Amino acid sequence: MTGAPNRADSPLLCVEDLVVEFRGGGLFSIGAEKVHAVRSISFVVGQGEAYGLVGESGSGKTTTGRCVLGLQVPTSGRIQLGSDDVVELRRRDSGALHRRIQAVFQNPVASLNPAMSVEEILAEPLRRLLGIRDRSAARRRSKDLLDEVRLPSDMLDRRPTELSGGQAQRVSIARALAPEPSLIVLDEAVSALDVATQAQVINLLADLRDETSVSYLFIAHDLAVVRHLCDRIGVMSTGEIVEEGTASAICHTPTDGYTQRLLAAVPVPDPTVKRVRHGLVNS
Amino acid sequence: MKSALRRLVTRPGGYIPLIWLMLLTFCAAFPAVVATHEPNAADFTAILEGPSAEHWFGTDDLGRDNYSRLVHSSRTAVVAGLQAVGTALILGVPIGLFVGYAGGWWDRIVMRIVDAVFSLPGLILAFAIVAILGPGITNAMIAVGILFALRFIRLTRAMVLSVREEPFIEAAQLSGAPTHTILGRYLLPNMYGPLIVQTTISLAAVLLIEAALSFLGLGVQQPDATWGSMLRAARSLQRDNPITPWPPGLAITFTVLAFNALGDALRDVLAEGRGGRKKAARRGVAVGLAEDAAAHDHEHPSEEAAGTGTLLSVRNLDVTVPTDTGRARAVRDVSFDVQAGEIVGLVGESGSGKTVTALAVAGLLPRGLAVDPRASITFDGRQLVGMTESQLAGVRGTGIGMIFQDPTASLNPALTVGFQLAEPLRIHGGMTRSAAAERAAELLDRVGVANPRQRLRDYPHQFSGGVAQRVMTAMALASEPSLIIADEPTTALDVTTQQQVLELLVELCEDLSMAMLFITHDLGVVAEVCDRAVVMYAGEAVETGDVYGLFAQPCHPYSQALLASVPLLDADDDRLVTIGGRVPAPNEEFGGCRFANRCELAAEICEEGPVSLKPLEDEGRLSRCVLVDSAPANGGKS
Amino acid sequence: MVRTFAYRLAAAVPLAVLVSFLAFGLVHLIPGSASETILGDGATLEAVAELDRQLGLDRPLHEQYWNWVTDAVRGDLGRSVITSRHVSDTLIERYPVTLSVAGGGLLVAVAIGVAGGTVAALRQGRLTDRLISLGTATGLAVPNFWVAVLLAFYVGVQLGWLPAVGYVGPTESLFEWVKHLIMPSIALGLGSAAVVARQMRGGLLDVLDRPYITAARAKGLRYRRVVVVHAMKNAFIPVVTVIGFQASVMLGGAVLVELIFGMPGIGVQVVGAVLSQDLPVVQGVVMVASLTVIVMNVLIDMSYAYFDPRVRLA
Ligand SMILES: Nc1ncnc2c1ncn2[C@@H]1O[C@H](COP(=O)(O)OP(=O)(O)OP(=O)(O)O)[C@@H](O)[C@H]1O
Ligand code: SF4
Ligand SMILES: [Mg+2]
Repeated sequence: MTGAPNRADSPLLCVEDLVVEFRGGGLFSIGAEKVHAVRSISFVVGQGEAYGLVGESGSGKTTTGRCVLGLQVPTSGRIQLGSDDVVELRRRDSGALHRRIQAVFQNPVASLNPAMSVEEILAEPLRRLLGIRDRSAARRRSKDLLDEVRLPSDMLDRRPTELSGGQAQRVSIARALAPEPSLIVLDEAVSALDVATQAQVINLLADLRDETSVSYLFIAHDLAVVRHLCDRIGVMSTGEIVEEGTASAICHTPTDGYTQRLLAAVPVPDPTVKRVRHGLVNS
Repeated sequence: MKSALRRLVTRPGGYIPLIWLMLLTFCAAFPAVVATHEPNAADFTAILEGPSAEHWFGTDDLGRDNYSRLVHSSRTAVVAGLQAVGTALILGVPIGLFVGYAGGWWDRIVMRIVDAVFSLPGLILAFAIVAILGPGITNAMIAVGILFALRFIRLTRAMVLSVREEPFIEAAQLSGAPTHTILGRYLLPNMYGPLIVQTTISLAAVLLIEAALSFLGLGVQQPDATWGSMLRAARSLQRDNPITPWPPGLAITFTVLAFNALGDALRDVLAEGRGGRKKAARRGVAVGLAEDAAAHDHEHPSEEAAGTGTLLSVRNLDVTVPTDTGRARAVRDVSFDVQAGEIVGLVGESGSGKTVTALAVAGLLPRGLAVDPRASITFDGRQLVGMTESQLAGVRGTGIGMIFQDPTASLNPALTVGFQLAEPLRIHGGMTRSAAAERAAELLDRVGVANPRQRLRDYPHQFSGGVAQRVMTAMALASEPSLIIADEPTTALDVTTQQQVLELLVELCEDLSMAMLFITHDLGVVAEVCDRAVVMYAGEAVETGDVYGLFAQPCHPYSQALLASVPLLDADDDRLVTIGGRVPAPNEEFGGCRFANRCELAAEICEEGPVSLKPLEDEGRLSRCVLVDSAPANGGKS
Repeated sequence: MVRTFAYRLAAAVPLAVLVSFLAFGLVHLIPGSASETILGDGATLEAVAELDRQLGLDRPLHEQYWNWVTDAVRGDLGRSVITSRHVSDTLIERYPVTLSVAGGGLLVAVAIGVAGGTVAALRQGRLTDRLISLGTATGLAVPNFWVAVLLAFYVGVQLGWLPAVGYVGPTESLFEWVKHLIMPSIALGLGSAAVVARQMRGGLLDVLDRPYITAARAKGLRYRRVVVVHAMKNAFIPVVTVIGFQASVMLGGAVLVELIFGMPGIGVQVVGAVLSQDLPVVQGVVMVASLTVIVMNVLIDMSYAYFDPRVRLA
C-alpha cells in the first residue's frame, strides 16, 4: 500500500534477535549437526499494520511465525506482544495469548477437523477463549463471523469435506477472528488457492483489516500477493532478513541483491515485457 | 458414523458377515435353545454315527451329539474373543494415545519395547505365558490380549502422530482447547474407523489362536467342548467317522471369514466417507450423456483446415470421468492446434481439465477415464484416438516427451537416474548400454546438470527439486521428440528456480525446434513463455489466441476476469477484481454457457443452449461466448 | 555385505537382551517355585528349600540371571526338570525339523503370495482378481491345523500320495526330505500366502498410480516392462516387511503343524513342557525361537537396501 503510514511507531509485536536451531532428529543424534532455521532476526509489527515476510522455501518464514504464535520455543531472542513476553505468556496463560494472536494456515481443508461441523469449529474458540458457553449465543456469534467472511449462515451445518478450498479458508479466517485478536499470523494463507479464489480472499483480508484494525503477519513466497496486502515487507533468505522496507520501496527500489533476484523472477502477466522469451520479442 | 453404518448394512460384504456373527452371538447367549442335545451327555448306543435326522453332524466316540457340542462351543469362542480383544483395547489404546501425544523419551522407550516384543513369535510367547499361568481359557486369552495390546499401541500411536501433525490440531490449540479435549475431541474421533477395523481383524486372529491353543489341549479342559478341542478329537476319529473334522473346522473358518470381511467392508465404507462425498451443487442439473451427445455434434470450429506446419491437432476432445452421479464430461469439446516449433499454453483454474486434456493427448489417461471415440487427435499426421496401447507407446517413445508437475515424484525412487535416462535410448534408439550411458550424460549436460557422468549413478532422492526437473527434461529429450507436453513443470519450485527451468525449456524448444504444450495455472508464466494460449474453464476451451492479443485484449468474460484477478507487482493499490462463486464440477450440467452463473454480462440468451467456440474478428482468435464477438477496445486491463 | 550383517546383528543385541529378560522372568512369574513343581504336591518345606539351594534359586535375582545368561551363551540352557535331559541337546536334535517346516511354509507363502498378488493387481476388478480375492479371504480364515488334519487324512492316508507322518533329514535323503515337507509346508504357508498376496496386490496397485509410472509410460515403454522394471521393485518394499512378520508366524505355526504330521520337531516337547510347567524347556525354546526371528529380521532389514536405495544411503 503505497504511502500508507508506517504504523510501526506504535508497535504491537516486537521480535528481537530471534534465533531458532533444530537438532537433527534420531535417538542417538546428540552430536548431530544443528540446523539454523532462523539466525537472529528482528522486526516490528505496528498496531493495525500488515507486515509481510517473504522468501523462498526453507528460508525460515514459517518457523518465525510459529514462534510468534507460541507454538515453537525460540533458542534465544525476545518476542514482545505489547508489554508481554510471548514465551512467558504462553507458559503462564496460553488462553490469554491466543485471545490476542490467532492464525490461518496454508492447507485450507486440513486446517479444519474433519470430525466437527463448521458450527462446532467456530464454537471452540468462543467457548474456550471468550467463555461463551450458551449454545444459542455461540450460534448467533458464529453466524456473525460467517457473515464477516462473506459466507452464508447455512454453512454452519456443513463439514469441512463439504467445503471448497476458498470456503474452507474463509472458515479458518472466521475462526481466527472469533476471539477478536489484535494480530493474525497468516502462513501462506492464500498460496493453495486458485487465482480467482485467491483474489477473493485477498480482498476479504484487506476489508477485514479496514473494518477491525487487526494486524497481520503475512507469510508468503509470492511477492506480488504480499505487495497487495502489506504495508511493509521483510525479505528473508536462509534464516535472515536481508532487506526490509515499505511494500512499494521493496518492489520498486530494492537494494539487496537477493531481493532483486527474487523480484526479477516473478512472472509478469504481460507478454510485451516477457523476459524468458525475449529472443522472440526482439525478433 | 450413522450414514457409514447404513452404507455398511446395505452391502453384501457388510450384512452377510453381520448376520453370521449375530447368529453366533445368539448361539453363545442361548446355546440350549439352539442345541438339540445335552453337549456332554454320552450315549454309548450311538457312538461315531454319521449325520442323521437325530444327530445332524453325527456323534463322537462317546456318542455325544456333534451339532450340540458345536453350538455350545460358540460361547467359548465369543467369550474368548471378547476377553482377549477387550484386554487389548483397554491396555493398548490409552498407552498408544499417551505415548503418541507425549512423545519424547516415553515414546522412544515404549516403542522400542513394543517393536521388540512384536517381532517375536506370538504363538510361542503365548505358550510361555500359558506355561506360567497354567492351562485354561481365561488365562490364555488374557495373555493373548496383552500381546494384541501391542497392535493397538502401535496403531493408536501411529494415528496420533499422523493426526497430530495436521494443521487443525494446531488450530485447536490456538482456539484454546486443552490437552484432554484435543485427545478426546480432535484425535480420537478421527481414529474410530481404523480402530474398529483393527478390532474386527483382531477378533479374527484371536479366534484362530484360541482354537490353536485348544487344539493343543492348552485351552479349555475336558469335557467342555470348543471348536479347537473338537478338532483335536477329530484327528483320531476321522478314520472311523470322516465328518468329524468338518463342522468345527468350518465353524472356525466362517467366523474368522466373517470378522475379516466385516473389517474390509468397514474399511471401504469409511474410506468412501472420507473421500469426495462432496454434495453436488444445487444449481447444476445432471443431464444424461446421451442427451447432450446430440448437442455435442455441432460443426467444427474454423481451425478445421490444419495448416501444413500443424504438428498436433485436437478436435472435439471429450473425456469422461466417473463421479458419484455417474459418468461426467471433465473435458468438453476441446479443439486446438500446435504448430511445429510453437509453444502453446493451456491455462485455467484447478479442475478446469488441463491435465486430463494433456494426458488424453499422450494416451496416458488413468484407469476409468475415457476419450470419446468421436474425438480426433492427430499428431504428425497420425490419428491417436483408437490406437492400441502399444501403438501409443511407440508414438510416445519417438515423438512426444513429457514433463510433470512434481519432479521428484515422477522419477522412480528405486532406479538410478542413469538407468532411467538410458532406458528409452536403449529401447527405442537400439543403443548399446555404454552408448546409451554416454548419450545420457550428454543429455544431462545439455539441461545444465553439473557433473553429469557422476550423477548418472545417483538416485532421484539425491537431487533437489530444480535439478530433478532438469533430469525429467533430459528424459523427455531422450527420444528427440517434436512435441513436449509439460504439465505445470514449475509449480512445485521456488520462483528463482522456476525462472531457470522456464529459461531452459524455452531455449531447448528454440534450439531443437521442438513444439511445447505448456500447462499452467499461472497467467504470468503463460505470458513469459508461450506463443499462443488456450484458456480453459470447467472442461471447455473458452478462448484461444496469440498471447499478445489475449493479454492485451481478452475477449471472453472469463479470460477478462481471470486476468484482472492476478495480483501485480507494480500495481497501484487497487482492489483485485474477483469472480464470485466457484468452478462447476464435471457432473454439473447447465443448459447454456457454463460460465453463466458467474458472468457479469450474463443475459437470458446465454442460457438458451450450448455455446460453441467461434472465430472472432481478429484473425486466429476463437471465443466461446454468445455476447462478446469482438475484442473490446480496452480489454481486461482497466 | 558380511560387515553390514555383523553390524546389524550387533545392533540387535539389545533386543536379544530384552528377550533374555523375558525368558528368564518366566520362572519368577510362576506361582510357587520350580522346586515345588519338581517335587510335586507332597513335598516338605525342607525338601523344597534344599532343592532351591541346589538349583541356585535362593540367590539374589540378578545373580541368578547372570548365571543363567552366561550359561546360555555357552550353550547350556539347563536341564529339563521332568526328563533331566539337557535342553540344548533336545533343541539340537529337534529344532532343525521345526526350522525345515517353517522354511517350507515361508517358501509357499512367498511364492504363492507374490504370484497371486501380482496377477490380481494386473487384472484389477476382473474375474481373476475376484477369484484371487476370494482365495485370499479364505486363506486368511482357514486354520492351518485344520488344513493339516484334512491333508494328512485325505492326501496322506486315503490317497496315499505323500507321507502322512514322519520326517527324513536332508542328509539322509534329499528327495524324501522334500517329500515329507510338502504337505506341512502347504498347510502352514497358505494362510501367510494370503497375507502376502493382499499386500502385494495393494502395494502394486498403489505403485501403479504413482506419477513415476505415468512418467515411465510417457517414455514410450511397453506396459509389461513398466510393471516389471518400474513397479515391482517399489511394490516389494512393504511386502518384505510383511514377509518378515510372517517368518515369525511360521515358527509358531510350525510347532502345531509338525505335531499333526507326527514330525520329531520341538512341538511335542513344547506342548508337554507347557502342560507340565517344565520351565527350562519353555525358556530354551522361547530363547532359540526369538533369536531365530531376530536374525531373520536382520536379513529382512538388509534386503530393504536392495529394494529401496534411500535406505542404503541413509
Ligand atoms: N482420475 C479421475 N477420476 C475422476 N475424476 C477425475 C480424475 N482426474 C481428473 N478428474 C476430474 O476431471 C476434472 C479436470 O481435472 P484436471 O486434473 O484435468 O484439472 P486441472 O486443470 O489439471 O487442475 P489442476 O490445476 O488442479 O491440476 C476435475 O473436475 C477432476 O475432478
Ligand atoms: S455466453 Fe453469456 S454468460 Fe457465457 S461468457 Fe458469454 S456473456 Fe457470459
Ligand atoms: Mg493439473
